[in-house]
Amino acid sequence: MADVPGRPVRMDHPPGGPGWPDELGALIKLAGRGDEQAFSAVYEQVAPTVFGLVLRVLRDPAQAEEVAQEVLLDVWRTASRFEPGRGSAQAWVATIAHRRAVDRVRSAEASARRDDQSAAQQTDYDTVAEAVEAKLESERVRRCLGTLTELQRESIVLAYYGGYSYREVADLLGTALGTVKTRMRDGLIRLRDCLGVT
Amino acid sequence: MRSFPGRNHSLRLRRADLHTLAGPYALNALPPRDRERFERHLAACPACAEEVRGLRETTARLAAATAAAPTDRLKEKVFAEVTRTRQLPPVSAGQPAAGSRWLAADRWVAAVRRRVRSGRQPWARPVALIAAGAFLVAAVVFGSMALITQHRLSQAQAGDHMLAAVLTAPDAKMTDTAVTGGGTATIVMSHLADALAFSSAHLPGLPAGKAYELWLMGPPGERSVGMLPHPAHGMTSPVVATGLHSGDMVELTVEPAGGSPHPTSAPVLLMVL
Repeated sequence: MADVPGRPVRMDHPPGGPGWPDELGALIKLAGRGDEQAFSAVYEQVAPTVFGLVLRVLRDPAQAEEVAQEVLLDVWRTASRFEPGRGSAQAWVATIAHRRAVDRVRSAEASARRDDQSAAQQTDYDTVAEAVEAKLESERVRRCLGTLTELQRESIVLAYYGGYSYREVADLLGTALGTVKTRMRDGLIRLRDCLGVT
Repeated sequence: MRSFPGRNHSLRLRRADLHTLAGPYALNALPPRDRERFERHLAACPACAEEVRGLRETTARLAAATAAAPTDRLKEKVFAEVTRTRQLPPVSAGQPAAGSRWLAADRWVAAVRRRVRSGRQPWARPVALIAAGAFLVAAVVFGSMALITQHRLSQAQAGDHMLAAVLTAPDAKMTDTAVTGGGTATIVMSHLADALAFSSAHLPGLPAGKAYELWLMGPPGERSVGMLPHPAHGMTSPVVATGLHSGDMVELTVEPAGGSPHPTSAPVLLMVL
């Protein structure tokens, strides 16, 4: 494995898709009982998603690595509290990762750092993003994003990948808050149906 | 500007308005105040909770679509921390055993056997005679509570008996649910025993003069099951409800400590049976 941050990874099963095993949930339960070997398997399965998402939101690879480390330790610390009845293990991990990334973005200091970094990182970031989007699961996700209206898609992408609050999204798009709220929901519902999420 | 509707809006409108927050909520785009408001709504709206679940699975796909390989350094750092990071205990002592999805049912069985052999749980003995199943996990949960509240149980032999009947019923089914504001509720229900056992872990503390009251709501109307006992070590000993009807829901509200004839506050838990 080359030490290139942001290198896209092929995943055999899209999370939540057909054939995606519930194995991850079972491994997390085992990890919750202090089983480090199980946690190692959990790490292999989730680290690329965690790091990729955090990098996408934060853009700065150094900060992304810090936050990804916090997220993966959260997974270890709180593994016993994962409740399978409330959703998939993938969704549980992604929620932790996204919250941590957004918390970092919303701390004022990090925002300043991100703004400083973004100019310098812009080229790298675009390359990474394009390479990632050209592959894997993202093919399907991108195709499905393409079925949304422009406002639905922009609202979702700015909120999720940009880490903006819905008020900030409304300001950025020059759209009423109520409209953004409903477009986020309509858009996600359409995306859910297009991806065949159950 | 704020999404709060005016007073002249009907309840229905307010609900519809709240409902649209499911999108920004699943995207983690709500400020804390709106998020808390929506989470209160979620507890009382099983359809919304189900929608949020589906939308969260969808955003997880957005996350997977942007996967990128981290450096090996990340792994080294994480595992260096893992060896010196203490894990949090579970919110409740067990999880539902949904068939073969659970790798470690055998461990649960062993744990129950150990507890029964230690003889500290008078009611758990018949439980151990029956083969493995979801109720064994339930027995671990309630067993640990019974340990804490043993004296209370021995004071209530009748309830004790009913509790054992629910837990040992072949169709006993256990569900864990998060409670709005924090904590978990555990329900073990049996149609054969026509009863359910309810317990909770780590519910938020209440001001003096207030207590949690448990209700059944359904076609026959609202029935108070009773007040939750004071928690010991964060857990409340099981409360048994009998006389279930199809279409019943379990509801938990905060009421004056003496109890109310009808719920007087928004439920912190609402669960369809």
